[in-house]
Amino acid sequence: MQRLIFTLLFFIAFLVQSQNNAIGTDEKLVFTASYNMSGLLTDLAQVTMETSTVKTSKSTLMRLKCKARTYSKWDSYFKINDLYESYVNPNSLKPYLYKRDINEGGYYKFMQYNYNHKTNSVKSLKRKRRKDGTFWDEKTNLSINPNTMDLVSTLYHIRNLDIHKAKIGSADTFAILLDNKESNIKVTLMGTETIDTNIGKKECYKLAISMNDNTILEGEANNVLWLTADANKIPVYAKFKIAVGNGELRIQSATGLKH
Amino acid sequence: MRLLLIILSTILAILGVAMSILPFGSIALIPIVLSFVFGLIAFKMANKEGKSVTLIKVIFFLIIIATGLTIYNTFQPNEIVEDSESVENEKISDEDMEELESIEIED
Repeated sequence: MQRLIFTLLFFIAFLVQSQNNAIGTDEKLVFTASYNMSGLLTDLAQVTMETSTVKTSKSTLMRLKCKARTYSKWDSYFKINDLYESYVNPNSLKPYLYKRDINEGGYYKFMQYNYNHKTNSVKSLKRKRRKDGTFWDEKTNLSINPNTMDLVSTLYHIRNLDIHKAKIGSADTFAILLDNKESNIKVTLMGTETIDTNIGKKECYKLAISMNDNTILEGEANNVLWLTADANKIPVYAKFKIAVGNGELRIQSATGLKH
Repeated sequence: MRLLLIILSTILAILGVAMSILPFGSIALIPIVLSFVFGLIAFKMANKEGKSVTLIKVIFFLIIIATGLTIYNTFQPNEIVEDSESVENEKISDEDMEELESIEIED
């Protein structure tokens, strides 16, 4: 009997953990990406994170859309128009289709991952543009770990973690698929902090994000993310280290929140 | 020493003007402030030594132009130009819908 109750509790706990408690189906978060040099800021781009529901004949999916667009003043010099999409299970945030369409100063790259969670595999499509304007495709079949996600769904998955239960200094590692390679991303809870944002003064969880085998996110505390310490866990501020100086992401508006 | 300061101040003032024309925002103030400091020291030294200050005055003129442009640019609102190609790209295409139709999610 005791074993049965324990098993039942474990099952309920697992179900609760895998439920999406933080992300609404019609959420829109708008950010400003800036470059910080000796405390002086210059705004570079607008980053938008949107969610929506997509219904098919068989299932209902959640579309997680992230886009980065340079402000028009930069467009003549270096235009960025990036679109990242992930179609996930609305409850568990498990990804099924991931698309990355990047246009950065004339450089174009398209990536698509079709996940098959039954066989733990991914059908990958990489599309690049040649100098003459024509495209070439590279199709690969990849084997992945059962919990490997993409960049976008990982970001939303971090928001869905029970951070309030975590101790300061505790860390969690997530496997993500980036450029057809599995990498580990480590998220460490540094503590809580109250910061002023465009959506008000917010008490936040301060999380350090690092990727050990990747040069994008180097260092233990160089890349920090502030998530509101409420049920929505909105990413309100992020700081990341780049070649010369620092980059910043500041929230401008948040609409359609779940709580 | 005075000549070195004048050269540095000139280079930084030109850099300041270039950065204030480009959308660097308040970062353009870095070369502008440095150019002003070097120019001011060179101006005092030239006055003490009884040398010509014409070039330094030109530098100060460049600094005023660059500062004005930087302040103007800093207060310009950030805008995003929505082109039809991007808007179309963000929509779920028929091809995407076909991919999505084949998905069976596990709960």
